[in-house]
Amino acid sequence: MFEQFLSTILKAEFLFSVIRITAPILFAALGAVVAEKAGVVNIGLEGIMMISALFGVLFSYWTQSWLIGVLGALVIGVLLSLMMGFFAFKLKTDIILAGIAVNMLGAGGTIFLLYMFTGMRGNTGALVTPNTLIPVVNIPLIKDIPILGEVLSGHSVLTYVAFLFVWLLWAVLYKTSIGLDIRAVGENPDAAGSVGISVERIKYIAIAISGALAGLGGAFMSMYYSQGWNSGMVAGRGFIALAAQAMGRGEPLGTMLSSLLFGLAQALRTKVSGLQGVSSYLVSVIPYVVTVIGLVIYAASTMQKVKKHHTKAQKGA
Amino acid sequence: MSNRRLLVFNILRGVAAIMLALAVAAVFIFLTSKEPLTAMKYLLLGPLVSFKATGLVFNSTGLFTILAAMIPTIFTGLAVCVMFSANQFNLAGEGVVMLGGFVGALCGIYLKINSPLHPVVCVLVAAAVGGVIMLIPALLKVKLGASEMVTSLMLNYIIMFVVLHFLNYNFADRTKGSTQTYPILDTARIPEIIANGTKLTWGFVIAIIFVVLVALFMYRTKWGYAIRMIGINQSFAKYSGMQVGAMIVLSQVIGGVLSGMGGSIEVLGRFNSFLWKELPGYGWAGITIAILAKNNPIFVPFAAFFIAYLNKGCQQMATYSDVPSEMIDIIQAAIFLFFAAEQFLAKYRQKIVVKNTQMDLANQAKAAANAEGGSH
Amino acid sequence: MEQEDFVVQMKGISKVYPNGIAANQHVDFFVRKGEIHALMGENGAGKSTLMKILFGLEEPTDGEIIVNGEQVHLTSPSVAISKGIGMVHQHFMLVPSLTVAENIVLGMAPKKSGIIVDYKKAVEITEENAKRFNLLVDPNAKVMDIPVGMKQKVEILKALVRGARILILDEPTAVLTTQETGELFKELVSLKEQGFTIVFISHKLNEIKQITDRLTIMRNGKSMGVYETAGISEAEISRLMVGRDVVLSVQKEKSKPEGSVLKVRDLEYTNKWNKKVLDGVSFSVRRGEILGIAGVEGNGQRELVEMLFSLNVPDAGTATVNGENILQTEQRAIREKGVSLVPEDRMVYGIAGPATIEENVISDRYSKKQFNKGALFNVKGIHSESDHLIADYRILCKSRKQQVKMLSGGNIQKVVVARELSSKPKLIIADQPTRGIDVGATEFIRAKIVELSRAGAAVLLVSADLNEVIELSDSLIVMYGGKIVAYFDDTSQLDDMVMGEYMLGLKHQTDEEIRRVCYE
Repeated sequence: MFEQFLSTILKAEFLFSVIRITAPILFAALGAVVAEKAGVVNIGLEGIMMISALFGVLFSYWTQSWLIGVLGALVIGVLLSLMMGFFAFKLKTDIILAGIAVNMLGAGGTIFLLYMFTGMRGNTGALVTPNTLIPVVNIPLIKDIPILGEVLSGHSVLTYVAFLFVWLLWAVLYKTSIGLDIRAVGENPDAAGSVGISVERIKYIAIAISGALAGLGGAFMSMYYSQGWNSGMVAGRGFIALAAQAMGRGEPLGTMLSSLLFGLAQALRTKVSGLQGVSSYLVSVIPYVVTVIGLVIYAASTMQKVKKHHTKAQKGA
Repeated sequence: MSNRRLLVFNILRGVAAIMLALAVAAVFIFLTSKEPLTAMKYLLLGPLVSFKATGLVFNSTGLFTILAAMIPTIFTGLAVCVMFSANQFNLAGEGVVMLGGFVGALCGIYLKINSPLHPVVCVLVAAAVGGVIMLIPALLKVKLGASEMVTSLMLNYIIMFVVLHFLNYNFADRTKGSTQTYPILDTARIPEIIANGTKLTWGFVIAIIFVVLVALFMYRTKWGYAIRMIGINQSFAKYSGMQVGAMIVLSQVIGGVLSGMGGSIEVLGRFNSFLWKELPGYGWAGITIAILAKNNPIFVPFAAFFIAYLNKGCQQMATYSDVPSEMIDIIQAAIFLFFAAEQFLAKYRQKIVVKNTQMDLANQAKAAANAEGGSH
Repeated sequence: MEQEDFVVQMKGISKVYPNGIAANQHVDFFVRKGEIHALMGENGAGKSTLMKILFGLEEPTDGEIIVNGEQVHLTSPSVAISKGIGMVHQHFMLVPSLTVAENIVLGMAPKKSGIIVDYKKAVEITEENAKRFNLLVDPNAKVMDIPVGMKQKVEILKALVRGARILILDEPTAVLTTQETGELFKELVSLKEQGFTIVFISHKLNEIKQITDRLTIMRNGKSMGVYETAGISEAEISRLMVGRDVVLSVQKEKSKPEGSVLKVRDLEYTNKWNKKVLDGVSFSVRRGEILGIAGVEGNGQRELVEMLFSLNVPDAGTATVNGENILQTEQRAIREKGVSLVPEDRMVYGIAGPATIEENVISDRYSKKQFNKGALFNVKGIHSESDHLIADYRILCKSRKQQVKMLSGGNIQKVVVARELSSKPKLIIADQPTRGIDVGATEFIRAKIVELSRAGAAVLLVSADLNEVIELSDSLIVMYGGKIVAYFDDTSQLDDMVMGEYMLGLKHQTDEEIRRVCYE
């Protein structure tokens, strides 16, 4: 069994699936990064992904255009996050509670909306046609390289966008004036406010970008990954993204690496559950356990640094 | 006197939040339903009223059903109250309810104990397991500083899949069409208070007793006091000499115990076997309830009643009109948002405060003037 | 007086905070063009609130503001900035991880191709303005790496670069050394000569006399009038500020110190920015005496207190109370050894704001036997304890159930002091015990501290208020740069000028002289 397992994961196909599975987590994790940089904890990512995933499918079905579907999902993501922002910044609802409320909307509200719009329950299988799915891109030249081509070429447009956004987000945060403002607001809101930066406005911008990214993650899930929307589809990816952000120390590149780790765990799960005699339920646990372990290692290493400073004291004494 | 005015304001503010949330619901219903009035009628009145040709008739069965539905959510509401009071955003109540239900059911199936003691043992075992499992996010938080929010969210999924694994691979009754355990022994069932099929079991009485116990714990014991102070200002608590780490762990363990109890009492009272195939949602309802109750255990039953009423209303609406019952999530989210909004109607609050202060200042001035006048 | 003379006219300003504190009550504040105008008053008199209103950080509850003859609604700092108002805050408003140039252009960063920050240009802007206003800074250094004096220059530059013609400086000298203060004053005078208007918040009389033209005095949220600086005496100013002729001498009998309670030996601490904050600190505090620690803030006093209450961990050294170690232990254990702390930052450590007075005064003793009956609280015992403390410490409140955050600053501090001094402490650490509170509460708290020391407690008093520390202490040490630089076994003959020299590091005693404070 172990050999069988090894032979499945040592294939280009497996690495391909790691990238594929990482993409939606990466979108949401980058969303967590930009929000966190502005000092906002966005735990509504999960709900935003659910709802925009649904609207991605609906928009693409109504217009028969995948692009409009994706853009629609993005817009919905932005609107939802702005709503969170309104409650959190304007009405001073605890941002975590605002996030929980959005997650409630994502869980039951989507089923309600789906039914109201289409009369369907639970999933949108019947709405999906090839037109409405995000297309796959074969990269010329690279696709012909053995192994590497198999791993890197043939992904959906949005997969490439996700990885492109790692760089883009870094550039926005560190090279543009809005990025400067976002970092200033996150690090010392009073300082930012004292020079006339509207802290509230910057927080709105940051959470809107965060929502847009989660929206794209949602679109990726419903319009490519599972080819249709269903109620159990996002399955905690929005929460995993928060862990990825923490492990990535809030930086785009680090977050990409930790997202890849969680992507790897998900991909392993898919592979292992294909094997004979393995409980599909126990295998399903892998990504969540890996997330907890990852978080624990990260937290422990941070703690270690603090301790080092302290043990120095005891030695001296 | 001024305090009373603020209290009245706070109550009115809560009512306004609920009205606004219902208005949001109404907008959705009018936008999408072909029979909005029917839908609204069932949503708002359906839980307690039957619509007969002769007019509206009070429906006592409806009341029993609502009270019965409160049993698990009172427990999860209390659990969240305790954890949120310590400022611990532990959201694993959801998973622990499922685990508690499963463990309780297994004890009810495989332990051979005499009747009055059997359910007690089942519930205690479930409570203990719930408490132990909450040690994971609690200790990771206290010892390593890992966010209890993220670990508890992950824990929900882990618990769900592990329970489903054992349900499917070890404890399934293969003679049944759907996946479920063997039947729970009669000795372990929690009986109804009045045998009328509404599932209003003695669990309700236990739930109310726990409301009182948890309220006493939070407001009349040193542990509850420490938990609340830690939640308000952890630095203050540490400096005062409270055992902050231990209390943070304790609050989450209590949250686990209460959630585990809630899950097992629900399963042993309502079902013949364990048949949940996904997270039951009581944990999330508990969060809404705790928010409505402002983390005060005494208000939990009222908040739980309100949520159960709305839930039933949504079901009624789904049965008798074209609006699906998941409407409840939209209403809940809206209530949640407005209720937790500190600045909601804050301008009015500020006006009251300004007025009070001005009155105080005027009174002081008057008193000072009188004192001076007296000295002449 | 001509209307046009004034660049700022604030008329009838009132401000009530959401917690019900009336920080400003019908305040008038007029500033002439091109003057240096002092805004004076004790901590908590409402100066900062008034200036926050002028800078758009707080909205007034009532009143009107006229800037350059135009009625304005200063709803945010950006509106204030657009009206030519700039503010240098007491706590620097800088982003530590950004460079000086980035901080200076923050919110108005020069851009190339629309959105990309033109960093070179930012550096140019910084250098250009630094030269023009003679405020020399290093544009490429990260703010977290530069000294305090330079941070302040960055703050002033920030305001000037934004076109401020009216500069508000909130206690700018509080964190500066004498040399830095002198430098700052030169810069301010030169700005005045260039036509800038400066509002200078301070309560240091000598500074005000030195550079201001006029002054406005505030007390208890009200304006006590405007005066020409040249035409008012220091005694008159202090009378207006505190509402009576300042009597600072604290009545106390001579101390009869016996045996050391607290022994601190060779305490060392290097902070995370690699600065040595405590450098071989050794001293003892004896029963029945008040040992004061004088020094300019930021010379290690805060860290020392943190170590003594295990809120921080030293690199080396020992500290014992009656022979038992108190470093790196639980606060509960420290308190059981009879140590009390009146913390410097009362809002962070001292209280739980939304909790009741009762819940706040029992936080160190709630688990004691007398307050518990089995598993439950002994509610009656707790009520009577808190009622006693409220009465004994004259806490002005509606009832023991009132939220502490609704009390005035002085009463909040009385809540803290009531708890800390009523636990029969053997060692009281009082860190800035009267900062920012009214005169009545100040006197009360000082008297209580003296009373307890005479009854046999050892008291370690840390205060940045030189008068307080000299008047209250029996003996005194001075900290400078993380070291003890002087020890005086008798405070009655101490002279401010000599103290100042030690506090600024111009003088220090020999090691033998300092070592006397260990009483070995």
